[in-house]
Amino acid sequence: MPSLGRLRTSSMRNDLAAEKLRFLVLYRVFLMRVIDLELLASDGDLTRLISQFMSIFVTISFFTIIPILFGAWNIKSMTARWAVEHFLIETSMTVAGLIAVLAWDSAFPDRRDLMVLSPLPVRVGTLFLAKTSALFAAPGLAIFSLNIFAGVGWPLAFVAKGSGFFGLLWAWPAYWLTVVLASGFFVFVMLTLQGLVANLLPRQLFLRVSAVLQSASLCFLLSLYLLEPSFRTPEALTAPQNQRALAWLPSYWFLGLFNQINGSLHPALAPLAKRAWIALACSAAGAVASILLAYLRMLPKIVEQPDILPASRKRDGLPRFSRSLPNAITVFSLRTLLRSRQHLMILGFYLGLGLAIAAGYVHGWVVKPSAAHSQWVTAFLFISILAMILVVTALRVVSSMPTALRANWIIRVTQTRPALAYQEAVRFSWLVLAVAPVLFFLSGAALSAPARPWLAGHLFAMLLFGVLLVEFCLYTFPKIPFTCSYLPGKANIHFVFWASLMLFLVLIHKSAVFESRMLHQPYQELSTLFGLALAALAMRGLVQRRAVNSKELLFEEAEEVEIISLKLS
Amino acid sequence: MLELRNLNKLYSSIPAVSDVSFVARPGEITGYLGANGSGKSTTMRIVTGLIEPTSGEVLFEGNPTRRDPMVYRQRMGYVPEEPHLYTHLSGLEYLVMVAQLRDMRPKTAAARIHGLLRLFGLHGDRDLSISSYSKGMRQKILLSAALMHNPDLVLLDEPFSGLDVASALVLRSLIQELARRGKVVLFSSHELETVERICSHIVILHKGKVVADDSIANLRSLMELSTLEGIFSQLVVDQDPDAVSREIADLIYA
Repeated sequence: MPSLGRLRTSSMRNDLAAEKLRFLVLYRVFLMRVIDLELLASDGDLTRLISQFMSIFVTISFFTIIPILFGAWNIKSMTARWAVEHFLIETSMTVAGLIAVLAWDSAFPDRRDLMVLSPLPVRVGTLFLAKTSALFAAPGLAIFSLNIFAGVGWPLAFVAKGSGFFGLLWAWPAYWLTVVLASGFFVFVMLTLQGLVANLLPRQLFLRVSAVLQSASLCFLLSLYLLEPSFRTPEALTAPQNQRALAWLPSYWFLGLFNQINGSLHPALAPLAKRAWIALACSAAGAVASILLAYLRMLPKIVEQPDILPASRKRDGLPRFSRSLPNAITVFSLRTLLRSRQHLMILGFYLGLGLAIAAGYVHGWVVKPSAAHSQWVTAFLFISILAMILVVTALRVVSSMPTALRANWIIRVTQTRPALAYQEAVRFSWLVLAVAPVLFFLSGAALSAPARPWLAGHLFAMLLFGVLLVEFCLYTFPKIPFTCSYLPGKANIHFVFWASLMLFLVLIHKSAVFESRMLHQPYQELSTLFGLALAALAMRGLVQRRAVNSKELLFEEAEEVEIISLKLS
Repeated sequence: MLELRNLNKLYSSIPAVSDVSFVARPGEITGYLGANGSGKSTTMRIVTGLIEPTSGEVLFEGNPTRRDPMVYRQRMGYVPEEPHLYTHLSGLEYLVMVAQLRDMRPKTAAARIHGLLRLFGLHGDRDLSISSYSKGMRQKILLSAALMHNPDLVLLDEPFSGLDVASALVLRSLIQELARRGKVVLFSSHELETVERICSHIVILHKGKVVADDSIANLRSLMELSTLEGIFSQLVVDQDPDAVSREIADLIYA
């Protein structure tokens, strides 16, 4: 007969195996939940979506090591070396931070988790571990992809002087450790922020504030990345007037940390390295405390209180339009935009990006404070064009993400007009929600300046440009906003947008310069306006020709029929 | 009159409904019965136009519904099996949106929406988000959306789901009243007692095929059974319920 001790050991081993299995099952579920599966089309492939994102990071990583392939591993200048180190660390940190913001909703267990898991024999500890592991796995995967080439090639250029072969070997772990710690710092900060608000505010208020906080964090990270001032010389890093700014720029702290771990610490970087260690310890402690408190305090609250955002909603003051279908589509779109966190966040992302680019353009890239009047005019034109492109693109992108796919049946069973009428309604809604606000703000900005006759011409050009963009978006999206399923690999607008962003910025700058020359020559300005109007009309014709042919509304991407000739005759 | 003619629907070559034909007449309530997975909801979705049949056709007042689906949809009201709604909207906002999509006159729509909300006891909660509604409240919103344009054809797929006793009694009476006023009512349910009480005509579906299509009285006399439950059990239930329940109990004790 087996002894009591042996039975206990065997039982413990079985318990451990069962807990391990539960952990793995939960981990997989939570990892998948980082992406909202409700958005995917029935034949949407999550693995494909993840691999698309990873391939983007791997491509970026490959491009970053091109200079290494051309011999840049032997960097002589300290400033140039710090610039590369700073760029790589800062990019990794920002990507990790952005992913932590995107996975905002999956940071803590929600009502669905609790309702499903509470009746099951799952320990809170296992749930906690699985959730936390999944939470760190997503940014981890992104950071690994982003540094897959850069993390192999660039450390060769960062070897500490006179450290010999050991220094060469040590550069790789030093680089990877820094990147992981720096990325972890932003993830910890996001968790601390979320946990702090979740613990301080009542749950319903937290749910309301959380959406705003998430969008604000997104804008903050983008702005920080694009607008961060450059301090890459020992003089700049030690200058007293720069110390205040450096105290608030985490990427420089981790630049110091990397050089400390790598054994190449310059005295100017020493205080920054110290700050990095303190910040890392504080943020990690904050994140751990937040998560623990969230599990101890929030879980009972989630069960007791409903996840209802508005406890008592009064009538909103949304505009009413006379025609019923455009009214229905516009108000539905506006309500979805204002009330859906996911849509609001993506919109905030594009607007934040636009703000950061505009601010960067005005403060430093092109226009200096002492710039001539003509440069300020060009900057205004640049910002106008950029704002129109980003707002219309943002609306187009969020429109392609559904709010509740299974509720779309009502639109289908109430379709009493041809698809063309719906397309006109969507056109109207996009003009009202995207083009009109941009024109409104531009008019406000223009009115605040001394009266200039060219402003009217520019605003009219912007109106025509906005119409042209809307028609282009309608051509690529012949559906009702927020009702079609998201099919990864087909809705590639994000990737196209990012791939061509730099090209776009150059084109926008050229257009702004071109328009600033045209504005003072009435005949040429008129011909530009005529050209824009013609392009918008041509695009509208194309869109309508497509809509006339379809009677029914589209909700899913229709596969094109492929006819393969067997060439038997 | 609603007529289903030789409807077939295949999902990846698996038949969901096979050769389904029956007629639902104005002024009568047609009960559509069947076990889970028998093809009831598939038939309902074909009738609404949400899915296309593999073959066969649906005729309303003698015209194929596919000939002019816009006109047909204007005359149809549908309550689906599951209360899928845009939960970020309030009950009132949802109904206003449906009225606008149906191109109803604003004054008529406002009067009917507020009236329906009041009669269904939802007026006080009209500005709350649908995400906070109970299943019964959502069901009432669906019923309001299906009836507010005064349709000639009313398709009800499990309309009693989630309703409290008082609301269920109102709905039962409402269905009878709509039929009395000459509407075509096709009503699918698992509640045999309710079906027996209000339906004049029964269609029973089993494994995608129609196994009975007659009045309850005729079915009773033909099958020499006194209740609809008995008729249903004989036509549809393949297993002995007592034997299955014993097997389940044995299984969980094993």
